[in-house]
Amino acid sequence: MSDVRLRTRALTVGYDRPLFPSFDLDVAAGEIVAILGASGTGKSTLLNTIAGITPPLSGTASIDGVDVTHAPIQQRRCGLVFQEPLLFPHLDVLDNVSYGLRRHGATKDASHIQARALLSWVGLAGYEHRSVQQLSGGQAQRVALARALAPEPAVMLLDEPFSALDVELRQRLVLEVGAVLRERGCAALYVTHDPIEAETIADRVLRISA
Amino acid sequence: MPVWVGRVWVVPAAFLVAFLVVPLLALAQRTWSSTALLRLLDGQTWQIAALATVQALISTALALAVGLPIANVVSRYRFPGRALTQALATVPFVLPTVVVALAMRSLLGASLGQGFAVVVLAHAYVNLAVVVRIVGARWAQHDARYEATARTLGASPWRAFTTVTLPMLRGSILSAAAVVFVFCFTSLGIVLILGDSSTRTLESRILRQASLLLDFPGAAATAVVQLLVVSAVLGLGAYAARTAPAERLQPASLRRLPRSRKGRVAVIGTAIATIAIVLVPIAALLRAAFVDNGSLTLAFWRAMSTIDAGTTRIGSPLDAVGTSLAYALLTAAIAGLVGGMAAIAALAPRVGWVVGAIAIAPLGISAATLGLGTVLAYGRPPIDVRATGMLVPLAHALVAVPLVVAVAAPALRAADSRLVLVAQTLGATRSRAFWTAYGPILRVVMIAAAGLAGAVSLGEFGAASFLARADNPTVPLLIVRLLARPGALSYGVAAGLAVVLVALTLLLVLAVDRLGRTARVELAAT
Repeated sequence: MSDVRLRTRALTVGYDRPLFPSFDLDVAAGEIVAILGASGTGKSTLLNTIAGITPPLSGTASIDGVDVTHAPIQQRRCGLVFQEPLLFPHLDVLDNVSYGLRRHGATKDASHIQARALLSWVGLAGYEHRSVQQLSGGQAQRVALARALAPEPAVMLLDEPFSALDVELRQRLVLEVGAVLRERGCAALYVTHDPIEAETIADRVLRISA
Repeated sequence: MPVWVGRVWVVPAAFLVAFLVVPLLALAQRTWSSTALLRLLDGQTWQIAALATVQALISTALALAVGLPIANVVSRYRFPGRALTQALATVPFVLPTVVVALAMRSLLGASLGQGFAVVVLAHAYVNLAVVVRIVGARWAQHDARYEATARTLGASPWRAFTTVTLPMLRGSILSAAAVVFVFCFTSLGIVLILGDSSTRTLESRILRQASLLLDFPGAAATAVVQLLVVSAVLGLGAYAARTAPAERLQPASLRRLPRSRKGRVAVIGTAIATIAIVLVPIAALLRAAFVDNGSLTLAFWRAMSTIDAGTTRIGSPLDAVGTSLAYALLTAAIAGLVGGMAAIAALAPRVGWVVGAIAIAPLGISAATLGLGTVLAYGRPPIDVRATGMLVPLAHALVAVPLVVAVAAPALRAADSRLVLVAQTLGATRSRAFWTAYGPILRVVMIAAAGLAGAVSLGEFGAASFLARADNPTVPLLIVRLLARPGALSYGVAAGLAVVLVALTLLLVLAVDRLGRTARVELAAT
């Protein structure tokens, strides 16, 4: 498949021993794969391994055909969104979204123009100079999503991004984010422990058990 | 709460008024005349203030440069020997400054001589613990996923550190920097032993003006200038901490060593370097006390009882050890009593936080300023307490009270106050119920706090240099006197006394730790 963006082969993840058997996975552009499993089964470790935060025990991972198994985190073109937005508290909303663009060589002005467009896209136009402490949980998570999408990652890794939000907001954001990810052509892994959420957002569901 | 808890603040308040406010007023009175006010503008004072500022800034930068990697390693990673490394990193701060100065002189005297470089190194050495403790406590709670996020956004490890980690630790780094700056700016023992004309501090100028020149108005004016600078820096530090960005903290927990070889080498290498940095100067001190001309000797130890005999009497080393121990005991008793009462008063509703805040006020005032003020207020007729020998322990107690309050108040506040109500419902009087709830904790923390107060007294130099009688010096004073005399014997005896001081201080700290542990175990068993 030419449009495969994320490919793993015989990948095993864990710290001292594998958390689950090795597996092969292909995720195409615009495809969302939900990773479903109970707490402690290694869902987050899998995302951390693909992002390069935790080295794999064995196997390979490639992104857009390039082997990234041992590549530094910043060269993998992975966007990462955690359960908590983890916005940088010393930066305002605009500078949070611009952060990745600046690291990829954009000038301050150019990064701000792109960041404004992204903020508008996630429905937060007018929030540019707000302190991140002034945002609600849902707003903060949208900023985190815009920040992760800004450098145009090939792969988006979402680790229970909405589990801290109330049900109504979560359902709305799940649909919105699914649309955004498909439109951007990202290959996405979406970790959740909620089967309904997994079915709602994903094209495929991968179940992990210890 | 019993009624007396709301009134017990009277005792620490009276102590603070008598031994902090009155001495400061005595100082202010000397300054508050037309000629003395002009002394505040004395060019030399401000020149020394500028010199001391440069010295303190460089010392602080060095303490941060060395302390931050240590804080990162000992507060975040789990590895064999981590607790030992962390404990060792605290040792230089516990050691008396004259001991550190002598250790540095023994280590670097031959290569660096005296002056700016060795003073800066000694200051950085002493203050490593401040950086490691203050920044490390904050770093341990920092969520590493912030850096992971920055890395996925394209930041290199160094870029993530400078654009995310450092700004988020800014408050704690600036707090630590302010404290270190103040310690270096007001340094006395280290600059007297290791310094030259380029490392003078206002503290050493106060001592010179008051002790050698007998220029009390001039010394008072210098003390006021120093107080202004110190207050401004501590105020800036507090402001920086308050306005630092509020991040989402997580409970402090240790993480595994990095999987990469490079990462492991960095962590373990930093730990080994920490141990070496702390122990090498102490080893040099031991060498100075036991080695003469390349061979082992006990000559310096035998001279402890005879060195005083000579043309210039400087005081007997053995007597000085006795004096220091007696002062340490008295300080522990006074600071324990006064600080303990302040900590109890801090439990009182409404006024408690005011008492807690005021009790730590002596922290902002340098020891020499306190010593000078005390001499002016109580060291000369009509009130001459100096002859009683009580001025030194009283001044030491004043220096130690904030420490006692800092240790005791949080422990008491953490106790379950509902136990008081439970005891009352079972028929206990209010006072009895209070002691049932707080007594066991109070006993534990007071042992620890009084022991630490004793350790402070053993090594204190600034206030004692004003207040101790010439014929009855403390060990730190005698070390400085010995170093002022030429000859290998004087130096060796000074090194021997410094080793005694190290041993006594560490014994006291370890005993306090052990007593505290035992008491905590008993407490947990009840």
